[in-house]
Amino acid sequence: MNGMKKRLYETDEAIMEGIRHDEDAALAQLYKLHFPMISHFILSNSGTDDEAKDIYQEGIIVFYEKIKENRLELSCQIKTYLYSVCRRLWLKRLAEKGRFASKLDDSESFVSVEEDIPHHEEQERQFNVMTEALEQVGEPCRSLLEDFYIRMQNMQDITDKFGYINTDTAKNQKYKCLQRLKKLFFTTYKPEV
Amino acid sequence: MAFNKITMLEYRAYEQIERYLNGGMAPEEQVSFEALLRNDPRLVEQVHEHRQLLQAMHQYGRRQLLTSKLNSLHNAIETETAATVAPVAEVATTGWRVFINRHAQTMAVAASVSLLSVFGAQWSVQQLKKPVQQQTVRYVELRREVERLKKAQTEIINGINDASKPVAPRSATFSGTGFAISTDGYLVTNSHVVEGGDSIYIENKSGLKYKVSEVYRDQIHDLSILKVEDPGFTGFGKLPYTFKTNESDLGEHVFTLGYPREDIVFGEGSLSSTSGFEGDTTSYQISIPLNPGNSGGPLLDDKGNLIGVISGKQAGQEGAAFAIKSTYLMQMIEELPRTALLAPMSLPANNTLIGSSRPQQLKKLKEYVFVVKVYN
Repeated sequence: MNGMKKRLYETDEAIMEGIRHDEDAALAQLYKLHFPMISHFILSNSGTDDEAKDIYQEGIIVFYEKIKENRLELSCQIKTYLYSVCRRLWLKRLAEKGRFASKLDDSESFVSVEEDIPHHEEQERQFNVMTEALEQVGEPCRSLLEDFYIRMQNMQDITDKFGYINTDTAKNQKYKCLQRLKKLFFTTYKPEV
Repeated sequence: MAFNKITMLEYRAYEQIERYLNGGMAPEEQVSFEALLRNDPRLVEQVHEHRQLLQAMHQYGRRQLLTSKLNSLHNAIETETAATVAPVAEVATTGWRVFINRHAQTMAVAASVSLLSVFGAQWSVQQLKKPVQQQTVRYVELRREVERLKKAQTEIINGINDASKPVAPRSATFSGTGFAISTDGYLVTNSHVVEGGDSIYIENKSGLKYKVSEVYRDQIHDLSILKVEDPGFTGFGKLPYTFKTNESDLGEHVFTLGYPREDIVFGEGSLSSTSGFEGDTTSYQISIPLNPGNSGGPLLDDKGNLIGVISGKQAGQEGAAFAIKSTYLMQMIEELPRTALLAPMSLPANNTLIGSSRPQQLKKLKEYVFVVKVYN
């Protein structure tokens, strides 16, 4: 069977191609490959294990979303790109903590990633506002909206699951929930268009 | 429905916008809707907001999924490195040896002081623990240590039947029982079943086998949430039972399915106390004969409500077993999005076991009860 074929992700291209096709093994390979480098960098620049994990995952997210949104024009190795993003994120984190690093102890070369950071920060802000809004919208609204809009379940299944009398009642409820979510979301989120 | 006129209009607009955005409009309807859009800046604004809201929700969903994947990848790395830490420590000690040789005299004094305090502290801690240990000796967790001999024997038989099999499977170190709690791949078992394992597999009576990972552990209630990791997994299908949210009554008939051996085993009895071991109010006492391997199994009542999770028994006393009440399981599941940043799971809403005969109930139920195999 073709699906059983074991794929190797030995090159940067293979990893990126794998991620484009939602292959979890490619993500796993990527994650495992570069963590020691970032962990070493954070730990030798006054960070902790938990911070290394945080920064590394955020770096992976930047890279992953860039691939998924087809915005990636990589002019260097994945390794260099990840290092540069994590380095930039760590500088920012240090600044937020009031610990300005006069000099970072670099073990790798790095490139400028300035143009990727604002987009990521905007995404981050949107994610945080949505998290907050979904929390405030409460149950059963939250599950209902997530089932329909995120998990793409159909209205009949949702009607059964939540025990509504019929799909019309469920739709009506979904409408009310969405209005509430919309209000909560847009009172905090003013997109920078 | 108590819709007044304005909200009815709003509802219609929303309904149209939704269909416009998800491509559910017929061509002629779309043309007239787009004509409306050209003349109505308020409608344009509404469509824009709606689109943005949906995008933000999708982004949220994708990010949640990605984060949970990254976390499980990270956990995998951590368990791997934990296994390789030992040789590193050895290298470090040689460095220390040089240091010790240089400062031996000063250190001797300091060491004797710190040794005294370390051992002193340890001794008193052990003293404190003693009565607790004596108590827990009587409580037996029912995780099964797989008998290697027996396993090796079946492997040999398998080898005769299937000579083409290239590698003999590694035998599990421990096993217990677990059951599905949502269609999308979440299961529950006891924490003590999966403790110390680095890879976990589940398998049911019809031969479905999946790799799972532990996504959450509540040591206090001895409950762990597992999630199917296989990329080919498409869902468990509709679960036949629902979770009971209030306490069950004394004397109710209860039953369980579990894997105290290689095959699934049914056990039946009644709810003999609404408190568990040593008056523990978070569990029930039940009169079902249980064996190692039953841990983590579902406890159901006659109507097919899930009322608990089998967890252990009292040593030397047959018929005094314990199960964690479903209310604590529910509470944990509800808190998962906050405590473990998991997307809220869709719990079963329909009980299709109600009113069926026991064998019929078991036929449905057994598809959702798995043997949990733990390797380390």
